[in-house]
Amino acid sequence: MKKIVEPAQTQRTIAAFLSFLLVFILLMVIAVMNAPTMGGHSVMASSQTYLAEVKRTALPFLGVIAIGALAIGFVVSRMFYQVWPNKKNRVTMLMAYGFLAPYLIITLIFTIGVILFAFYISFTDYDIFTSPVWVGLANYQKAFQGFVDPTQRDFVQSLYNVAWYSLIVIPVQTSLAILLAVLVNAPIRMKQFFRTVFYAPSVTSSVVITLIFMWFYLKTGYVNYLFSNVLGIFNIPWENVLWLGDPRGLIQLIVTAFGGNIPSAQWFFRGPSIAWMAIMFQNIFTTAPTFMIIFLAAMQDINPTLYEAAAIDGASKRQQFWKITLPMLRPIILMVVVLGTIGTLQVFDQVYLATSGGPLGTSLTPVYLTFREALGQQGPIRMGYGAALAFILAIIIFSVTYLQRRFIERGTEHY
Amino acid sequence: MTAIPQKLDLKNIGIKPGKPVLFYFGLVIRYLVLFAIGLILFTPFILAFLGTFKTDAEIIAYPPSFLPQNWLWENWVKTWETDIGRGGTFPRWLFNTAFLSVTVAVLQVIFCSTAAYAFARMKFPGKNFVFNFMLASMMIPGAVTLIPSYVLMSKLGLINSFFSLIIPGAVSAGGIFMLTQFFKSLPKELEEAAFMDGASHLQIYKDVMLPLARPALLTIFILQFQGMWNSFLAPLLYLNSADKMVLNVALSIFQQTYKAQWNLTLVGAIFNAIPVLILFFLFSKYYITGVAYTGVKG
Repeated sequence: MKKIVEPAQTQRTIAAFLSFLLVFILLMVIAVMNAPTMGGHSVMASSQTYLAEVKRTALPFLGVIAIGALAIGFVVSRMFYQVWPNKKNRVTMLMAYGFLAPYLIITLIFTIGVILFAFYISFTDYDIFTSPVWVGLANYQKAFQGFVDPTQRDFVQSLYNVAWYSLIVIPVQTSLAILLAVLVNAPIRMKQFFRTVFYAPSVTSSVVITLIFMWFYLKTGYVNYLFSNVLGIFNIPWENVLWLGDPRGLIQLIVTAFGGNIPSAQWFFRGPSIAWMAIMFQNIFTTAPTFMIIFLAAMQDINPTLYEAAAIDGASKRQQFWKITLPMLRPIILMVVVLGTIGTLQVFDQVYLATSGGPLGTSLTPVYLTFREALGQQGPIRMGYGAALAFILAIIIFSVTYLQRRFIERGTEHY
Repeated sequence: MTAIPQKLDLKNIGIKPGKPVLFYFGLVIRYLVLFAIGLILFTPFILAFLGTFKTDAEIIAYPPSFLPQNWLWENWVKTWETDIGRGGTFPRWLFNTAFLSVTVAVLQVIFCSTAAYAFARMKFPGKNFVFNFMLASMMIPGAVTLIPSYVLMSKLGLINSFFSLIIPGAVSAGGIFMLTQFFKSLPKELEEAAFMDGASHLQIYKDVMLPLARPALLTIFILQFQGMWNSFLAPLLYLNSADKMVLNVALSIFQQTYKAQWNLTLVGAIFNAIPVLILFFLFSKYYITGVAYTGVKG
């Protein structure tokens, strides 16, 4: 017995050691790639100049990562040590990680690695061309300065904007999607046809849709034409609106109609601007059909005997919808609301193309600000600040989707 | 309104008189509503398509016209011949977009399917951990990786290189997740037989699973193709030299260059929409199952 154990023992020790080295080196290479150093031509000229720069500025960062890499390497080596003696398991494990390698390596570099880097630079002043300078929490403080200093309100205002955006867009697009799904799911001929036709506009890119809508929203565009014609039937005069350039807010319009006034210092009482609501409308137009597809698939999974039983008991179609369809769709509604939240809090394409954040910052969004800071499109490049904004947004997204989960799932116990 | 329901009424003997009329009336209304919704959803494309043939003056005239006065085909030629210098031409942008979309979609099919096979059919230590890690990584909002990815790309010298989109786009958690679910739903008998014959996991993946998974692989291909074709923020950041741009980014520049010449911009927009729409009508079944499965487009 001992004769066989001995060589196997050394073999598995070597395997464990090699796996440890492999994982550790891989993780450290990824860390070095994402080390917080300056970029630019002189530094990136060769690997020597880059490594010298890493050594000069990024050792604390690498040190912290190294501790994590040691721990992960240890776990992996222990796994190898345990699995190694069994040939079948060993082969399967090696092959499985081989199959997963492209995903794992790409994710470690382009998701985990870059996030660690972003987290570090969010505490620094950083513009790719000079070394990051540690500033502590200054970037995070600056983000919320808009609460005290109205001239620095960009980020606070962008949060205010996306809050309105998700509050209006998510309920509307979700209920429209359910309505469309119910219409298509009815016992009709050409169900496939309608499903395809309804969904088709949603497959095109947001850039295409935005450009077309920008043209619709012109002062001489179809939207004004539609309003003036429809209102013309009732003899109500219509003055053409510059949709994407009108900063007047929803609440402001109502207050003004009653003779009141909201001064610009109290911008946060003005509500979403006309320009911002125009973008909301366009967004709902393209996302409602997408979510319709999801609801439709879920509705077809509902057991038909439920409806048959309800029909025998004399439930009307309307009752069946409220008492069977809607409760059964609850998990899907949760998914659609969560996806909608993640999407709406990160609006970018429409803003970049149609409004560039204006008018008066009423269509600024956090992602647009992050983009602007990163490329220095307004003032200097401030990547540290941009990264801090992105992290604040991420925390908000996590908390909101978590609350939605809690809130919507709590109601499911009844069913 | 009464003639049609009464005709249909004759075929339905046994149903109480009066009720069928209402029933068919409701049915007609239902179809009308559905057609109306379909029409509304297509209106932007119809109007934009008609707009591509209008003159510079007509496109911004008020009140806007429905049909163009003269069908100006030159607009399409003019857009196709756009040249902003330094190799930035319309056919070039179209090629860039198509090349990137096909490459990324093919790589996704390969790498997502191998990973999904490992998750669905192989037993190995750490599987649950890696799978949960993947699910968690899907929760990370794209905004967080925006700046650091740009920095990494510029350090690696990949700005204005197609690799900046190809490498991170070669595999996705969403694609792996969808294929894993699909592989799990396949019957195990076939591979068990193959195992008996001494086949390895690699052979089973290649010879048993891939042929069975053809519809799911096609779905991944189509969704990823569409995702890349429609993506905007990443190509806007990474590919900004005139000859490397994709159509979406070029379109945003179009709009800024042509300003009031909306007819030309609209040609570009329709050009961009047509390939995806054709692909969609050819493979709508796969599109729809894919979206219904994962809830994500692209």
